[in-house]
Amino acid sequence: MRQTWVLGQRALREAARTPEALLPTLFIPLFFLVVNVGQAGKIFPAAHTSFLHGQGYGAFQLPSSLLLAGSFGTAALFLVEDIEGGYFDKLRASPVPRTAIVLGRLIAESVKGLVIATGLVVLALVFGISIASGPAGFVILIALTALWSVVFVGFMQLIALKTRSAAATQSAGLVFFPLLFLTPNFVPRHMLTRPMEIAATLNPVTYVMEAVRSLILQDFVWTSILRGFGVVAVLGAVMIALNVRLIQRYD
Amino acid sequence: MDDLGSVVARRPPGYEPAGTSAAVQAEALVKHYGGRTSVIEAVRGVDLTVEAGEVFGFLGPNGAGKSTTMRMLTTLLSITSGTARVAGVDVAGDPDAVRRRIGVALQEAGLDPRQTGRELLVLQGRLFDLSAAEAAARAEELLALVELEEAADRCIKGYSGGMKRRLDLASALVHRPEVLFLDEPTTGLDPASRLTIWDEVRRINKRGTTVFLTTQYLEEADQLCDRLAIIDGGLIVREGTPAGLKSELRERRGLASDPTLDDVFLDATGRTRDRAAGDVQEVAP
Ligand SMILES: Nc1ncnc2c1ncn2[C@@H]1O[C@H](COP(=O)(O)OP(=O)(O)OP(=O)(O)O)[C@@H](O)[C@H]1O
Ligand SMILES: [Mg+2]
Repeated sequence: MRQTWVLGQRALREAARTPEALLPTLFIPLFFLVVNVGQAGKIFPAAHTSFLHGQGYGAFQLPSSLLLAGSFGTAALFLVEDIEGGYFDKLRASPVPRTAIVLGRLIAESVKGLVIATGLVVLALVFGISIASGPAGFVILIALTALWSVVFVGFMQLIALKTRSAAATQSAGLVFFPLLFLTPNFVPRHMLTRPMEIAATLNPVTYVMEAVRSLILQDFVWTSILRGFGVVAVLGAVMIALNVRLIQRYD
Repeated sequence: MDDLGSVVARRPPGYEPAGTSAAVQAEALVKHYGGRTSVIEAVRGVDLTVEAGEVFGFLGPNGAGKSTTMRMLTTLLSITSGTARVAGVDVAGDPDAVRRRIGVALQEAGLDPRQTGRELLVLQGRLFDLSAAEAAARAEELLALVELEEAADRCIKGYSGGMKRRLDLASALVHRPEVLFLDEPTTGLDPASRLTIWDEVRRINKRGTTVFLTTQYLEEADQLCDRLAIIDGGLIVREGTPAGLKSELRERRGLASDPTLDDVFLDATGRTRDRAAGDVQEVAP
């Protein structure tokens, strides 16, 4: 566990020393927030749109941006650099549990996820979006977003370990975009067309999004929250298990 | 010579070689790199014994299987068949115990460009279970040893090739390993840096560390190594002391004076001087 944290700290130093890799993860989600609200905000005025629970459309869109921010997986590209540069072998040649090598990075990713999500939500607060579930809800939604980013980077690391290629890892990251749009990201699920609704229901990202959204627009809707955390827990466990398996068989 | 039937024969699991005191003991070591369609037989049955306290040189042309062998011995690569014991521990059976006893500096210096030299050494110490204070002290000591004190707090990205090599060597020494593996430790170094590394290797060895190194420089092997083996096409073709190998060739050829290690190498690998020109480099004495 101590070694995991030592490696986690190293991954955080690495992130802090490459702000140019970190900044887009803040700006691109903000950009989408502004653009989406600008395009659809008028269709859904706060006063006449019941699913907004009295807030502006930006509050409804914020979860999409948070999830997008958690879906860059930059850490996996650093892992490819480790592999290409030989440092990964140096780590493998030391008596560190293989789990620590992957978990260190995942822990660092959760810290980064917390920082970025906090930044985004604070900006959103400045622009008048409020968190209906209050400070405790704020903490929960930040935590959920950070855990999602761990799931996502876990997925990216699988590609990195498997392909050992930056190009392949990068393009695997694009897998998220269809998943982000197969969600109720513009309107609630019950307002989607039937095929879309089915797709969204099958898509695990939907439940994370709905959990975050319920915390912003409503109070604590425990069924949504638990479903969101459930999805993240199950996917997270799968990702960690697969990561460990891959690194143990790494040749 | 090419009959592999006997050397790739699998040994029963739990097979214990007779003498386990050797620093490195490999028996019938085989590595196949496998695609689905074609298999590369990189190492085809290597037997090696390196006694504790030796500096052992592992020579061979490009692609002979030096790095592959070393990566198997250092737990980085799975062993297709055969057994290897390092510092008395079975490599496949208890890799973590081997890792605690060995230091490794690979052909491509494995460094993290975004850390400083000091951070890298401290981290390495922490991975080997030193406390934060111990790791810091050990890093300081090693930085002095490889003469990198001034660059210690700069990012490794800005280091020269020679500085990187020296730092890589230092990082392999953090935990005072019993056996040190160096894959081409002096490739790409200027003559002065090369001599620094030689001195360092001798000093480390004097303190009791066994050194297993590969090199393309025969002069280096001659100067540094107590014993050496030449590998070609995944098989050991010569083994012995530098002097012994030279006198063997002299007697076999009926030469008037001792040949150089270059001649031994060329004779062993069946290469002529012309053909070998691209493969082997020499260090001016
Ligand atoms: N990852 C790999 N996949 C497939 N083949 C490989 C791999 N690594 C090495 N080989 C092959 O195995 C053989 C031995 O390679 P190895 O790197 O061990 O040689 P070497 O003796 O270290 O050579 P050099 O002096 O160039 O470093 C070569 O034919 C090489 O092409
Ligand atoms: Mg090599």
